[in-house]
Amino acid sequence: MEGATWFIHKYIMHGLLWVLHHDHHDHSTEGPFEKNDYFFVIFALPAIALIYFGSLNYFNYLFYIGLAITFYGIAYFLVHDIFIHQRFKYLANTQNPYLLAIRRAHKQHHKHLGKEKGECFGFLYVPLKYFKMYYKNAK
Amino acid sequence: MKPYTYLLINLLTISVCFIFSFDKKIQFNKHFPAFLKASVLVAIPFIAWDIWFTAHQVWWFNTAYTTGLILLGLPIEEWLFFICIPFSCVFTYFCLDKFFNLRWLSAFNNIIVFVSVIVCVVVALLHHDKAYTFVTAIATATTLIYLHFMVRAPWIGQASFVFAILMLGFFPVNGVLTGAGLDSPIVNYNPKNFLNIRMLTIPIEDAVYGYTQFLLNIYLFKIFQKPADNCEK
Repeated sequence: MEGATWFIHKYIMHGLLWVLHHDHHDHSTEGPFEKNDYFFVIFALPAIALIYFGSLNYFNYLFYIGLAITFYGIAYFLVHDIFIHQRFKYLANTQNPYLLAIRRAHKQHHKHLGKEKGECFGFLYVPLKYFKMYYKNAK
Repeated sequence: MKPYTYLLINLLTISVCFIFSFDKKIQFNKHFPAFLKASVLVAIPFIAWDIWFTAHQVWWFNTAYTTGLILLGLPIEEWLFFICIPFSCVFTYFCLDKFFNLRWLSAFNNIIVFVSVIVCVVVALLHHDKAYTFVTAIATATTLIYLHFMVRAPWIGQASFVFAILMLGFFPVNGVLTGAGLDSPIVNYNPKNFLNIRMLTIPIEDAVYGYTQFLLNIYLFKIFQKPADNCEK
């Protein structure tokens, strides 16, 4: 899932579907809603199809892949929307080096406002230097 | 007394909220016109749905608990249901929104819509042969997609939170309607047309149905409120 997220983020969200993702970088949409939020429904579609066909086939592996996408979506929401972007104050002052590292890396990703020249497209795994930065300090 | 049971449920549901509407700190009475417009508009499709389902015996009413006045197949109490229940729900939302800052709950809009749409669409696909389950799931998914992506309503998280609190009232009211404490239920469901998953006596579809009805009432209520009174915008 992490690999797929990295790929989709780097080549689709910052590619063909930049039109939906750009307001997550430049905050050009007013109110709490971002066009970027359409991705939730886009990712819901394969989850629905997999859970449905998996259920019809006696809950085979397709069902669990669909379920995994759903849970990844929930994890994404908790870590990305709530923790990193602080849609409400939660764990804002954490000292956990892993959390600090992924937050720092994602902020680095947001330093680039344009479609091109991005970095740190991962979500739960980011370049090693960010982990080193915080794990070293934690010691 | 028995024929007044359903009528009493309606009146008890609305009475406390109605009296407190005139409280100086609440003043919900100023919003009665907005509420009436909203609830009547939402009632139209919901009553049409109700008439259709009653005609096809997806559900039916035990007339031993109603006064006997029937309009288009529905007891008069069922018509009143579409004003009385939304009244107490919108009133509760109005008060909680007025006295507490619940805006931070907008952070949950995405996840509520994401999970609900997945669950509703999967359930609708798997149970397309069960009328109540299918129509409720489709109505809920459509309402959430419309409110989140087209209206961009910032209050979905807030309304969902209030609805969770409203469960405290939902259980006794719907509980009695579906037979809790009575010899037989007031509203009866054809077992072929729903999931047969009951929370105590209440079919799970009822809660989802109530959620959609509530969301639509809040949506229209906010539109009809005078702009200056609408704290949301």
